[in-house]
Amino acid sequence: MSSINLLRSELRKVATTSMPWSFLAVLVVLAVTNGVAVAVGTDMDGSKSFIATGADQLSLMAFAANAVMIAGLFGAIAAAREYAHNTVIATYLNTPSRPRALAAQFTAIAAGGAVLGLLGAGLTIGAVAASLPLTDYGFMASFVGVAQVLAASTWAGAAGAVLGAGIGTIIRNTGGAVAGTVVALIIAPPLVVQLASGADPWFVPGTLAVVASGVADHTSTISAVVALAAWAIVPASAALLSVQRRDVV
Amino acid sequence: MTQSSLSSPPQYRYQLVLNNVTKRYGDNSVVDNLSFTVEPGRVTGFLGPNGSGKSTTMKILLDLASAKHGTATIGGRRYRDLPNPAGTVGVVLEPNAFHPGRSGRNHLRILAQAVGQTAGRVDEALAEVGLSSEAARRRVSTYSLGMKQRLSLAGALLADPPVLVLDEPANGLDPQGIRELRDLLRARAARGHTVLVSSHLLAEVQHLVDDIVVINQGRLMTTGPVASLTQSAAVVRTPSPQQLTEHLAAKGADVEPDESGALVVTGLDLEQIGDTAYTAGITLHELSAQADSLEDLFMSLTTPTETVPTPAPITKETVLS
Repeated sequence: MSSINLLRSELRKVATTSMPWSFLAVLVVLAVTNGVAVAVGTDMDGSKSFIATGADQLSLMAFAANAVMIAGLFGAIAAAREYAHNTVIATYLNTPSRPRALAAQFTAIAAGGAVLGLLGAGLTIGAVAASLPLTDYGFMASFVGVAQVLAASTWAGAAGAVLGAGIGTIIRNTGGAVAGTVVALIIAPPLVVQLASGADPWFVPGTLAVVASGVADHTSTISAVVALAAWAIVPASAALLSVQRRDVV
Repeated sequence: MTQSSLSSPPQYRYQLVLNNVTKRYGDNSVVDNLSFTVEPGRVTGFLGPNGSGKSTTMKILLDLASAKHGTATIGGRRYRDLPNPAGTVGVVLEPNAFHPGRSGRNHLRILAQAVGQTAGRVDEALAEVGLSSEAARRRVSTYSLGMKQRLSLAGALLADPPVLVLDEPANGLDPQGIRELRDLLRARAARGHTVLVSSHLLAEVQHLVDDIVVINQGRLMTTGPVASLTQSAAVVRTPSPQQLTEHLAAKGADVEPDESGALVVTGLDLEQIGDTAYTAGITLHELSAQADSLEDLFMSLTTPTETVPTPAPITKETVLS
């Protein structure tokens, strides 16, 4: 069986349920919320300084932090449901090499996460751009800045999806996988920062995503991109190890 | 359910061999030193009470679970070492191994794509198991148990594999579906394919299978041709009952006349009785097997009694001797 066939099979698995559409609906809601905020929202002083410059507008459009979280949940649910619905049996019967099966599955889920990240950023940029004419400000974000926001969100989506898939594969329970992903992405990093006094919070996934988008400078963009990948690789590797000897029951 | 009549060449005949397989969860032995063979060209029933280790044994055979000791091979190789495992072994294990929100057709297309089969083959497999195109377009969550079984079977048949391993495939099927399943499996065995099927429907199994493997508490209780294992006695009618009784008794048989005047013979098989009568020049008007039902055999092997603890394993050889 070729790896291409295996990957196509996994991509079809991701695309043939209603789950991607549910996540797309969430992205639309978030984009519309951003658009409404631009149209009618103000700062505390009643001004619209939060969209007054190109950098401000890019900050508003930088979707990558959301992409990590949303794609993380997407990956966690997609992977854990393989076990919840016993479809993992067919997966391992077709591909008895579990690392190979998991690599194909994670690649497909990463692709799904990347698409969600790209769409999330695209919809948000579109909503902001559509709302700006309702204000006194025009669209001032640079083309390069917008491109970086799109690229960072795509990358963050892929990384988040793999992170969630790793957690979902280890926990094998949809509710547990969702909770584990929320803990890993939202609850645990600030706790670690608090406990390790003096620790630089740059390694928190949300912060890394913002840095990768070019709208913050806690660390370099390259470092943020690599660190985001590390956040994905660690649980994915643990998942690969966990499936090696576990029975499918 | 339809089937092709082409027979498999010898190189595609696969013997399933379990050799001293043991599986433990903690201190609990789920499968205990289990050995048996499943021959190609025959349908083998895999029987045992709930929790006897049937599904675990199948999962060990398919590399979905690991054995603590022993080996399980398909054509001399472990499942994972087969050149094309999914193309060699068609499997039905879980009755609900589907994403409920996915259509039946998409479920099969995912399986087909993974093993390099075409969308056209998906349609053929759906036709083989009698699932309509309209049903295949619907979400699996709307399927009855019988339709899910048919979909599972279609998945197992996608690559037209020479080996089928089916766990309770008749569950939920209507009488017509059971008959179609029986015809399908018999036809595949006739092509030289290997068919291992577990079921709780003992009356149905008796009509379906050539051989049986009975396990209880993870141990082998008996294995062999179902006709031999269920034959309890022979019924003989002859105009010379006294003379035949003496000859058969001399060969070690127990002979009792029944109320109709026939002799009920135990301890010799039909061939031995016929040969004895022929040698003695005794005319026979009837020589037939008096068979227990498979259910009787199953219950005798798997029902614990207060006086008899776990029965000692009975092998094919001991039953036939």
